[in-house]
Amino acid sequence: MINIHFPIFILTLLLAFATIIPLQKRPFDRRFQVIMMSVLVVSLVMAIGELIYVIDHGAYSYTFGSYERGIGIEFLVDEFSVLMTAVVIVIAFFILLYSIRDLEHEIDPSRIYSYYTLIFLLLFAMIGMIFTNDIFNMYVFVEILSITSVAIIAIKNKKDSLMASMKYLIMGTIGSITVLMGFALIYMVTGHLNMTLIAEEIVLVWEQYPLNILLAMGFILTGFGIKAAIFPLHNWLPDAHSSAPTPSSAFLSGLVVKAYVFAIAKMIYRVVGPDISTNIGLTDYILIFAVLSIIMGSVYALSQTDIKRRLAYSSVAQIGYIFLGLGLATDLGISAALFHVISHAFMKSALFLSAGSIIYLTGKRHVKDLSGIAYTMPVTMTVFCIGTLGMIGIPATSGFMSKWYLGLASLDAGQPELLIVILISSFLNALYYLPIVISAFLQEKPSRETIVVVSTQGTTVPRSMKISMALVGAGVIIIGLFPNIVMDIINMAVPTFIE
Amino acid sequence: MNDLIVKMTTKLVLPFIQLYGIYVIIHGHLSPGGAFPGGAIFATSIVLFTIVFGLRIGQKRLPHHVSSKLETSGIFVFIVFGLTGILMGYQFLTNQEAGFPMGEWGRVFSAGFIPIITFALGIKVMSAVVTLFHTMMEEE
Repeated sequence: MINIHFPIFILTLLLAFATIIPLQKRPFDRRFQVIMMSVLVVSLVMAIGELIYVIDHGAYSYTFGSYERGIGIEFLVDEFSVLMTAVVIVIAFFILLYSIRDLEHEIDPSRIYSYYTLIFLLLFAMIGMIFTNDIFNMYVFVEILSITSVAIIAIKNKKDSLMASMKYLIMGTIGSITVLMGFALIYMVTGHLNMTLIAEEIVLVWEQYPLNILLAMGFILTGFGIKAAIFPLHNWLPDAHSSAPTPSSAFLSGLVVKAYVFAIAKMIYRVVGPDISTNIGLTDYILIFAVLSIIMGSVYALSQTDIKRRLAYSSVAQIGYIFLGLGLATDLGISAALFHVISHAFMKSALFLSAGSIIYLTGKRHVKDLSGIAYTMPVTMTVFCIGTLGMIGIPATSGFMSKWYLGLASLDAGQPELLIVILISSFLNALYYLPIVISAFLQEKPSRETIVVVSTQGTTVPRSMKISMALVGAGVIIIGLFPNIVMDIINMAVPTFIE
Repeated sequence: MNDLIVKMTTKLVLPFIQLYGIYVIIHGHLSPGGAFPGGAIFATSIVLFTIVFGLRIGQKRLPHHVSSKLETSGIFVFIVFGLTGILMGYQFLTNQEAGFPMGEWGRVFSAGFIPIITFALGIKVMSAVVTLFHTMMEEE
């Protein structure tokens, strides 16, 4: 029975560790690194234990303070949220393993401890957001998450990262306030803050207040849409993700954006419910913006020459896929969207980490400078190649499986034109990703000698960075070959979204 | 700032601000207010002190290493009291069922662990505001 407390243990462990870090007096040494990684391992073990418990016993709700539902804050621990927590911790483990060596040359050494404090608070807020079943509690976690995610960009203290984080801060604050406004409107209609109680109440009252609920959901979708970077609201993302330190880029693009997407999924399906959402026309709007995101994200990415900016714009397109699945409002659509949440987390982390280690070793960010680089950095470019193939949707990668599920879902929903959008987007993806890979592996340039000479960081990427990249890349392949590991759990969780 | 009147007034006002801050914190579960307003009120006294007497003397009153320890311990008190509920076989942050004495209704010593948590969080808020202010002053 101790298993039901594991989400709390994970959260308190992360919070406690985040608050201990600033008290460290010793320099950033091996002992601290080992403790930090073992905190993540312990929380991973608890997440997996929780996953096994939830698969055996089904989803359950956890109220704080043993109060009844509606008085105390409630966590809803279902299969997908636990799986998502496990994925967050796994990817965080790899990114932090990578960051140990990478951070030294990206941020000021005196700020390393502050950086890890922020990262653990970010994980705390993200996992809290995934579990929570209370909209005001969600708002609190959203605020913690937005402030910490701004801070892990600004900590680099360069001109462009400060500008980008200021932009992100302003956009993010507008987003938070908008979300709060939407929550207030929902509270006005239903008189509850607990999602389950709102869902029960909204079924009774939505015919009286359809405009009010549409307005509330409009506020909420706009607010979370800013934070999740759906197309017309995306313009903070490329600056923020490309100017941040590499581990931060991987965190933001791979995980943080997904937390907001999951919050949207909860709001649409758990709070308002699929029937009412379709009835007030919510899902149609989502589909329009999803298609715009998919196409425009790729088109923008084509014109970028900075490798990290290209990856960042590709995130906009990939978020579009997730919204496409959510907008279909069918079982298959939701499960495809949730699958893509996880598969994109692995692919984008692999891409950002490998792009980061190219920058680490050579200092080159321009796409044209990367020709022949696979000769000097084989491991890095292999991981990059895997991520790229996943983004395009080549079989045996997780990207193929998510596109497959999305295609099936759109056919099932009777909207085959969306399949064409997915195909066009795959071609666009190939158009802007493949040239990098082809020139890196197949072209030879004299620059590969100069790379070795110019480099100040030694001639190879540190082993810990290589290992973490390779394992994230392996994750992409494993999910691509055995999608059922993830899909079975998602299929268990989908009924909790659509009653 | 080298003004005798300002310094004397600050010295006179300071204890009252602090007393009021502590009052708001301690009565957090009975009256309007609580950890956040109370902590902020208490912090304004130290902020005022720093403005009037300068950063060097202000930091001597509440050095950075002390305030960061206070912040951490505030969170820890919260976590420990929260986990006590689990230890007693209930859920996180369980109050009455976990055996905390409820006391008499309307008195300061009532409502189980809530006054203790409010006090810890009040100290945490106070040290956070002071740390923020001092850090901003240092970077000027």
